[in-house]
Amino acid sequence: MEGKDPLNVIVTGVGGQGNVLIAQLIGRAMVRAGYHVTIGETYGASQRGGAVMSHLRISLDAQYGPLIPEGGAHVILGLEPLETLRVLAQYGNPEVTVIANSRPVHPLAVTTGAAEYPGREQIIRTLKQLSSRAWLLDATDIALGLGAGILANIVMLGALVGSGALPVGLEAFEPELRESLPAGKLDLNLKAFRKGIHEVSAAGEPV
Amino acid sequence: MASIATYAPGSDQLLMGNEAIARGALEAGVGFASAYPGTPSSEIIGSLAEAAKEAGIYAEWSVNEKVALEAAAAASFAGVRAIVAMKQNGINVASDFLMTLNLTGTNAGLVVVASDDPSAHSSTNEQDSRPIAKWADLPLLEPATFQEAKDMTRWAFEVSEELKTVCLVRGVTRVSHARGDVRLGEPMPPGQAGRFAPTSPIQFASLPAPLKHNLMHQKLAKAKELFESSRFNWYTGPEKPDLLVVTSGSGWFYSLEAVKALGREDSVGILKVGTTWPLPEKLVLGRLAQTEKVLVVEEVDAFLENNLKELVGGNLSSVGPLTFYGKGSEHLPAYGELNPDLVVQALASVLGIEKPARPSEYVEKAQALTGLVTHARVVGFCAGCPHRATFWSVKNALKLDGRGGFVTGDIGCYTMALGPAGYFQLKTVQAMGSGTGLASGFGKLGAMGFKQPVVAVCGDSTFFHAAIPALINGVYNRSNFTMLILDNSATAMTGFQPHPGTGTNAMGEPTAAVDIEALCRALGVRVEVTDPFDLKGTTEKLLGLMADEGGVRVLISRRKCALVRARQEKAAYRMRVDSERCLGESCGCNRLCTRVFQCPGLAWDSASGAARIDEVVCSGCGVCADICPASAIIREVA
Amino acid sequence: MSPGIEIKGSQALQDEVRARRLCTLCGACSGMCPYHVPYQGRMVTLDDCNLAQGRCYAFCPRTPVDLNLLSQTVFGTPYPASELGTAKEVLMARAAADALRSRAQYGGTVSALVAFALRTGLIDTAVLTTSDEGALPTGRAVRDEAGVLACAGSNFVASPTLETFNREAAGDAQRIGVVATPCQTLALAKMRASPLENRNNIDKLKLVVGLFCTWALKYRDFADFLGERVPLDQIVKVDIPPPPANVFEVYTDSTPVTIPLDQVRAFIRPTCNACIDMTAEFADVSVGAAEGVAGWNTLIVRSEAGAKLVEAARAGGALEVEPLPDANLAHLKEAALLKKKRGLSNIVEASGSKDDLLYLEASREALRALLSGV
Repeated sequence: MEGKDPLNVIVTGVGGQGNVLIAQLIGRAMVRAGYHVTIGETYGASQRGGAVMSHLRISLDAQYGPLIPEGGAHVILGLEPLETLRVLAQYGNPEVTVIANSRPVHPLAVTTGAAEYPGREQIIRTLKQLSSRAWLLDATDIALGLGAGILANIVMLGALVGSGALPVGLEAFEPELRESLPAGKLDLNLKAFRKGIHEVSAAGEPV
Repeated sequence: MASIATYAPGSDQLLMGNEAIARGALEAGVGFASAYPGTPSSEIIGSLAEAAKEAGIYAEWSVNEKVALEAAAAASFAGVRAIVAMKQNGINVASDFLMTLNLTGTNAGLVVVASDDPSAHSSTNEQDSRPIAKWADLPLLEPATFQEAKDMTRWAFEVSEELKTVCLVRGVTRVSHARGDVRLGEPMPPGQAGRFAPTSPIQFASLPAPLKHNLMHQKLAKAKELFESSRFNWYTGPEKPDLLVVTSGSGWFYSLEAVKALGREDSVGILKVGTTWPLPEKLVLGRLAQTEKVLVVEEVDAFLENNLKELVGGNLSSVGPLTFYGKGSEHLPAYGELNPDLVVQALASVLGIEKPARPSEYVEKAQALTGLVTHARVVGFCAGCPHRATFWSVKNALKLDGRGGFVTGDIGCYTMALGPAGYFQLKTVQAMGSGTGLASGFGKLGAMGFKQPVVAVCGDSTFFHAAIPALINGVYNRSNFTMLILDNSATAMTGFQPHPGTGTNAMGEPTAAVDIEALCRALGVRVEVTDPFDLKGTTEKLLGLMADEGGVRVLISRRKCALVRARQEKAAYRMRVDSERCLGESCGCNRLCTRVFQCPGLAWDSASGAARIDEVVCSGCGVCADICPASAIIREVA
Repeated sequence: MSPGIEIKGSQALQDEVRARRLCTLCGACSGMCPYHVPYQGRMVTLDDCNLAQGRCYAFCPRTPVDLNLLSQTVFGTPYPASELGTAKEVLMARAAADALRSRAQYGGTVSALVAFALRTGLIDTAVLTTSDEGALPTGRAVRDEAGVLACAGSNFVASPTLETFNREAAGDAQRIGVVATPCQTLALAKMRASPLENRNNIDKLKLVVGLFCTWALKYRDFADFLGERVPLDQIVKVDIPPPPANVFEVYTDSTPVTIPLDQVRAFIRPTCNACIDMTAEFADVSVGAAEGVAGWNTLIVRSEAGAKLVEAARAGGALEVEPLPDANLAHLKEAALLKKKRGLSNIVEASGSKDDLLYLEASREALRALLSGV
């Protein structure tokens, strides 16, 4: 963990993307590995279009509070680009690692024509300027390629593990996935996970 | 899949605070659990209900918190340990019974969990539940960690049984809804129901009140003794700190991290209070005597702070000069939720030092790069929500009626109609059932020249919780208003819990469904039923009901919640926009569907100058096809 | 429109017309979009349309009007210095057929002309006004004589009939005739002269038959008032006999009910006070009562199209035409001039200044010829 204790991880996205599930998978895997974990969630009425943000505090020594102080994130895992930018602005710092999914979920302000969604170039530029390492992954496309868009969050989880930001690897997650998924789905999810790892190692750093 | 009932004793599990509370109850051998759903408390009885069969216990969603508490009290009287959970508003609803139960006393342990929602993320008020402990002379515990959530709940049953009174446990969002690793203990099987066998004529009565009042005080004094040696109160820091932080609940983590962030472990001490009421006076006075400055860190009101001041006021000679900081001195806000930054700021300010700041260059860069683009996501009704359709019709009907009619609101997903999601139709929002109560009052002002039609909206779960007495009040007192019941077959906002109208109970068993329409008809009022997706029909029915000024009228707008429906059936329609026919921004439409109707399934494509369906979000309800003036939205049976 | 007139949008319509109680309920702003809807005698705006320019504002007879421009557009001549507006002839007329006359308010001239126009194919659709259920009038599109007969008769309550015209223009009808009150003829003229790209299919308008009008009543309050005296669903016909009667007659299947006209005047739409057009000046022909001559109408022939229709109807045996007695003509001019003077005086009172003629400000030049002191 390179001396970061507690390790502060933020998983962010829009309600319905599986944000909470991912945060819990990470939490349970880390607890299984012997760490203290606290997860704090902020819902913007998640199922009704709002943003969801999970703060994870991971520590070997002690249990920490459920909210990360401003500017205190070490890793940001963004399932949605706009939410990633928002979290980066509030919790980022020059040393932060960011892994973001490229697929937008348009807020009402954009779908009703009142505002414009930032373009891919602008997003990449912003990520680059506000972090020390950043990836923008087409996780949703990868997931759709595997047959289900909802797997994007598992792809992103794989990417997180592949980046080395967590002190554990895929082995720590297998028992969790096995326990929490219906039997038939395990292989597909592991495939998605591995694709995520691959994306990060193969792609290097696109931004 | 493992549940709170089956997790192995001795294992470490990542639990939500509410799950930890539930597990604590199981480890105490709870047999009866009751609640009305309310954020952030719902998962307590929710997880007990899920585990009920395995754990061999009984769990119910009660109609409201007062009945929930009464039902649980019955279990306690009969010798079964019981737990009741509610949000802060639930304490208000239950308070009438609580303020007699405290005098009555209990038999088997009875624990009441109050989960507060600081900043009202999901509430219509911001309220600190703790003062009820002082008001009702009841012991109150505040868990600060997830481990404590479990352990304190288990202990609360012991406290309750030793004192023969209710033991309150107070949580907040950041404990109840956050998750942390918890080491589990051994669940105890629930006791068998004993008998209801009063040992005296007044054992289970609150009378005679003065006598019982005195006895109640004696119980409280006993609690104070108990709490002096509780392991849930502890101190960390130097013997004679420059500053003593006194904290409870979620304040504990924030305080600990703040002291660390400022590097003041050697000069700042932290007294964590777990038994918030009655205060363990000797312990507290002992710590206060070691310092001259106190900073109190707690959620919502200055309850702990003022109680400390009161304690000090009665013991001035033994503590010496003391300055208090906290909400009273405005170092911490007296409203809104705490967060780590607020506490660091307060601590730094009291210590007279600079709070470590974020690198300013980074902050400026971040603001410049993201300031314009990050519009807060507005919450609104889901695609396909029947409420959107209902409020569209309400908006139009009120405008057409033209007499300045308005809607009195209530609590549920439809509360969002206060804002743009529901076209700003709700004009009042307070407590459960209040919309109908207010309407009952407005409806009597006609004799004083009041001419505006009043429509009270109320969800199906809210109807059973509190609106029925208000409806009967309107009928009995011949008030003039329309009650619009939004029946979407769910208690949706809090997580789709079943209720008396849905035909299933908390433990998933089929049960009799109470028929709202029949109940209203039995009151002898004019009742009509409409499908909210029939915009024209609903508007016409509403207009007709508003024009009929003969007492209370009821319109039931009935259609399943979109999310519930999505779990049960596939979409009814496949939707698309014919972009050739779409009038877009031109005179004759000006983007009615995306700009005004604003269903998230409809998106404006400025490149093509036409609306389009967002297939990922669209739920296929078909309603938008009926509002398009150009018939450009095509609806095909799926 | 002339350079002085700015075409705005729905919000301005609300502020400048509806908020000032100038709405005539002609219906010209409705039937084109989801936002403006006439309902029970009021024009209701259901939602905010934030377009900067809209047909609703352009067509409204109470937003700024350039009478000269309209006159050039409709007649090809400047706005005249005349009490009765542009007129080729002023005649007396009545329907030749008994069937039409028996259903008519006075001489049945309007019904005869419209029925003739439909029969001979000059128009395929006539937009008329009728009453349903009590006194609420609505526009109705008819395509045959039976339809015309069903709408015969006056009712003195404002009807948003141009909503029906707008719908018909957007639909399959190709040649439309409208029987219109003065404010409605003004709106139709504004449609013809509108500079907006969306022409609202106005070229389908082939015939405008104007009705003389002194004022129109507000439906809701008047209906309540009337309903207290006569069951609304029993009303067969209403009439205001000529002075000096000063009464409002209501005919049912039993005895007629007579109401003092002054009581009815309390329900006049405020905007009628700001009107200067008694004889529907922008129509092809205009029709009213012939005072003192029971069973006949006064008929003003204004345009080429109007003259052609009247001649064809006469020659075709649908219409009887006689010269109008001089006394009638003189009296008509007097009444029309009085309405103009009163209207302008009320406008100045409402605006608070002689230099602000509200919606007629851009027509100051045009009005000056007839009305000195403007």
